[in-house]
Amino acid sequence: MKDQMIGSSVRRVDHEAKVTGRAQYLADMKFPGVCCGKILRSPIAHGRIRGMDASAALRVPGVLAVVTRDDFLNNSRIDPYYGPVFKDQSIVALDKVRFMGDPVAGVAAVTESAAEEALAAIQVDYEELPAVFDVLEARREGAPLVHEIIRVPPHGFEDLAGLRPKESSNICTHFQLTRGDVERGFAESDHVFEDVFTLPDTQHSSLEAHAVVAWVEPGGRIVVWSTTQNPFVIRTQLSNIFRVPVSQVRVLVPYIGGGYGGKLYPKLEPLAVALALKAQRPVRIVLSREEVFLTITKHAAHIRIKTGVKNDGTLWGRECEVLLDTGAYAEIGPRVAKKSGYTAAGPYRIPHVKINSYCMYTHKPPAGAFRGFGVSQSAWACESQMDIIAAALKMDPLELRLKNAYEEGDTFATGETLTNVGLTDCIKRAARAVGWGDRRPRNSSSPLARGKGLACLIKATITPSLSSALVKMNEDGSVNVYTGTIEVGQGSETVLSQIVAEELGLTMEQVRVAPMDTDVVPYDLTTSSSRSTFHMGKAMQLACQDLKGQLRELASQLYKVPKDQVRVEDGKVTIPDASLSYREILCTRFGMSGGNLVGQGVVKTSMLSPTGEKSTSAFWFLGAGAAEVEVDRETGRVRVLKYASAADVGKAIHPLGCRQQLEGAAVTGVGQTFFEQMVFDNGQLINPNFIDYVLPSLLDVPEVIESLMVEVPHPEGPFGAKGIGETGLIPVAPAIANAIYDAVGVRIKDLPITPEKIFMALQAQREGTTLEDR
Amino acid sequence: MSRFITLSVNEVSRRVEVEPRETLLEVIRDHLGLTGAKLGCDIQVCGACTLLVSGKPVSSCSFLAVDADGCEVTSIEGLSCNGRLHRLQEAFIETGGLQCGFCTPGFILTAKALLDEQPHPSEEQIKKYMAGNLCRCGCYQEILDAIQKVAGRRAVQNG
Amino acid sequence: MKNFEYLEPRSVQEACQLLRQHGEEARIFAGGTSLSIVMKQGFFQPKYLVNIKKIPDLTGIRWDPKRGLTLGALVTHRELETSPLIQETFPILSQIEEDVANIRVRVMGTVGGNLAYAEPLTDLPQILIALEASIRVAGPDGDRTMSLEELFVDYYETSLRPDEILTEVLVPTPPPRTGIEYIRFSSSSVIDKPCLGTAVRFTLEEDLETVRTARVVLGCVAPTPLRARQAEALLEGKRYEVQRVKEAAAFASRECKPVSDLRGSEAYKREMVRVLVTRAAPRAFEKARAFRGQV
Repeated sequence: MKDQMIGSSVRRVDHEAKVTGRAQYLADMKFPGVCCGKILRSPIAHGRIRGMDASAALRVPGVLAVVTRDDFLNNSRIDPYYGPVFKDQSIVALDKVRFMGDPVAGVAAVTESAAEEALAAIQVDYEELPAVFDVLEARREGAPLVHEIIRVPPHGFEDLAGLRPKESSNICTHFQLTRGDVERGFAESDHVFEDVFTLPDTQHSSLEAHAVVAWVEPGGRIVVWSTTQNPFVIRTQLSNIFRVPVSQVRVLVPYIGGGYGGKLYPKLEPLAVALALKAQRPVRIVLSREEVFLTITKHAAHIRIKTGVKNDGTLWGRECEVLLDTGAYAEIGPRVAKKSGYTAAGPYRIPHVKINSYCMYTHKPPAGAFRGFGVSQSAWACESQMDIIAAALKMDPLELRLKNAYEEGDTFATGETLTNVGLTDCIKRAARAVGWGDRRPRNSSSPLARGKGLACLIKATITPSLSSALVKMNEDGSVNVYTGTIEVGQGSETVLSQIVAEELGLTMEQVRVAPMDTDVVPYDLTTSSSRSTFHMGKAMQLACQDLKGQLRELASQLYKVPKDQVRVEDGKVTIPDASLSYREILCTRFGMSGGNLVGQGVVKTSMLSPTGEKSTSAFWFLGAGAAEVEVDRETGRVRVLKYASAADVGKAIHPLGCRQQLEGAAVTGVGQTFFEQMVFDNGQLINPNFIDYVLPSLLDVPEVIESLMVEVPHPEGPFGAKGIGETGLIPVAPAIANAIYDAVGVRIKDLPITPEKIFMALQAQREGTTLEDR
Repeated sequence: MSRFITLSVNEVSRRVEVEPRETLLEVIRDHLGLTGAKLGCDIQVCGACTLLVSGKPVSSCSFLAVDADGCEVTSIEGLSCNGRLHRLQEAFIETGGLQCGFCTPGFILTAKALLDEQPHPSEEQIKKYMAGNLCRCGCYQEILDAIQKVAGRRAVQNG
Repeated sequence: MKNFEYLEPRSVQEACQLLRQHGEEARIFAGGTSLSIVMKQGFFQPKYLVNIKKIPDLTGIRWDPKRGLTLGALVTHRELETSPLIQETFPILSQIEEDVANIRVRVMGTVGGNLAYAEPLTDLPQILIALEASIRVAGPDGDRTMSLEELFVDYYETSLRPDEILTEVLVPTPPPRTGIEYIRFSSSSVIDKPCLGTAVRFTLEEDLETVRTARVVLGCVAPTPLRARQAEALLEGKRYEVQRVKEAAAFASRECKPVSDLRGSEAYKREMVRVLVTRAAPRAFEKARAFRGQV
């Protein structure tokens, strides 16, 4: 009997190349004639460009091209404005600069040092303007405006239709969600809680910096190699900017050294193409680490959450106001804010809900997608407050969650029915893994105190969306697979190969994923939103089924048997009295050893479910995390002894890959819980390096991380699978904050949870006790 | 100002012309075409650029190439032999000690240096030695497993 | 990095002469772990790098029961960490080195470079000052010796003249009944630079109760490593008592001059000085009582 393919942690197809150093990332690749591109960035946070003189830069020996706004003003061949939602970014600054680091000019030169010298020779005259650096300031009446006019493209994303910038304000978008009557909900509640939580800007910190190589072929065709997670979006945007048909843009992507959301949407590509057009040479831009910090961040957030609860712990009303700091450009911020809003009330049945989530402009680097996509922000508030409520009601936080958590068939805040919901299982298993309820006796003479905490989540995947796949069978029955999914490390090449191998009864060796090239592979929206296994995996399965249908049809014709008597299974085509290999079918069909059969699969999700009900998400991610911590009461330092991460994965196609995703997300979560934070001084980022922006190391992670997979299969996922890339990150910070509260009784509401914050809170707690005693 | 230096790279002697400001990473990647070592943080924190110089791990992003004149340099390309993976490479694959793979060559070389120095390290020793290599995908548990697996196997062989 | 000329003197004298000749345009290059950072950032662009690693006199760890420990300026952090001699005579140095930066920096970075760079967020100076270490300095006109404490002037600033080279660190043999404890405290990742570092050293009288000498040396809470002299004075010549340690810790907390930065506020650092002195002192005291010739 052949080995089980689905559910087996087969050897990953990308790993041998990676452990031998032979896997090629963009900066490793050689391009004949390539020159070096560099970016001049704004030294001020907000200002009008009065004048610019780049003539001296052009005289620097070795300089091939300088691109400034002069190249785009009155140039009908290029539309310099772009952006995934609103066209508020431009290739280089045209009228204003909007953050310290905003690209002002680009240079291409034969050497890096010539490019650097040329940057220094560009003269820019700025009229400095007042700036805003946080969402509350940005919202004030009369605050300096980041954008005076915002261009809205005619064909935007369907799920964001209707979201518009608010004129003469810094509100980029405002999303509202209402269910029931929240004021009535509060009035009918026995207790009402109101708290404010904040999170700072953080950065993806992929070890691989963003890079691009671009050139323009004679005839005008644009070729771009990029470290992007969504090449098809890049292709569309470049086609719009440079006013050429989509077919005239080719985007290729090699292996990527970590994305986590930071490599979505246009980054360096528009400028690199503009430079390449002018230099008539391939141009390579590789960002420095400091520039990476200025290119994309995770949204800082300010969240006010008000909750009404009955005496028995039933949640009765919840109002959330989420302010997300999207920085100087919208990027994908409007969707982040919308997603954040959808689930801001948490994974709970609440009859009265009112949510306002705002995407706000400020004069900071643009914020975009980050693993967790708005939900790690709102869950920080919601899941922390759950424990505030539990403490006030003297309820077990586990019991409070189980009492209110979504179960199969519950109605979501949007009014739609939730199905395939493994949430309570996740909560129970995570809690059990840290020994919930077992109390260690506290040693009163020791400064160390232990505690346990929980958090859970619900998140939507991008809907509607589109994934298509091609499976091309060769003359020997082996297949090449064409997919737009990017291997960012998540293991997509392996999982997609497993699905194909299972469906066609092939070995892993017989399946080969083709390199990513928009000229070759069919359309896929994006590698993000934890969507690839569900969407692309299903598209692959459908492509294989299409191929099997063709094989059945062929066998029926070639061997003159009724179609219903032909079976395609276990890698063979069976007709009455004979079993034929794929090779035999193809050979008979083409009369030679050659030729292909091509199967196609398309998955298009919609905002309406198959039954016609509203559908916010093609599937929901559900999960929970539980932490056990030890707090040093004298210093405020925290050690995470154990962290358990539970996710409803639907079906674990590659269990080791699932474990890696859950654990990896937990590790990032630990960094964001305790120390990751971009620190700005009047708009200037003061820690754009890994000495001062600290990432978690082997010594910082929990002593034990346990990954628990709950499998509630999804009928539309391949073999029941759902996505899990983000699930593991979202509950980490609140679970740890709740464990700290359990250990020492202080509640930290602002991330990161530094030892100092705990220490100061403990000091305040001690003083508070003294006051009461008096 | 440039000068010639001689390096033994993965046991092959190489003569290279370098400028004093060039780093070992630039020489290995750009002059010698060995791109397994990566530029990550450029500031000696992440370990993606780790190479072994005379068997010891260094941040090649900050190591002047002139300073390596006459030294033995081992890069990840020098680990597998005749198409056979090094035990550490095999163990990283088996335990799942990598995802995006960008940090992996640095991790494996650092682990090799550790095991060459100390064939049976304790868990604590492994953690302290390896703590200067960062994996943003967060495979730390699996990496630890991989190194322990190799250290354990050696223990059996030697014992 | 801007280009520069790479000079490789073979003797200390030659090196000093090169430094004198090129003045401000030259910089000594040893491990290069710190220098490469400022050169890459463009903060410092020397025209000449004087590599002193080929000077044989600057290497090696030597121990003489009378003179004590001599560390050549080129001794690396990793050598201190792994040297059996250090592990036997000054285990405190090996222990702290395990936590300094990362393995690659420890392999490259030198003791001399660490001290001469005078970076405030570092560990070794506190321990060495608590042990009353001195340094030898070579210049074009000959050698001089000074206490390590006198080396440090300000952030990244030492009392070395531009043409002088730190050649050796001398750590005297600890007097009997000496114990030292160092606590490295990080306020974020374990591998982050220290938020503060506290060394407490005691040498006891024969009664094993009375403190003859006390050293309380604080790092990262002033432009230079700082001796908490009032705290030391309070402890010296008196019986060791928990209450007195608490008072001394409070003194130290007032004496230091921290500034608020990424790694903590001034107020927090003062509080942590108090906590860490209180924690380090009893361990140093116990070690002093159990003294067996090593610290």
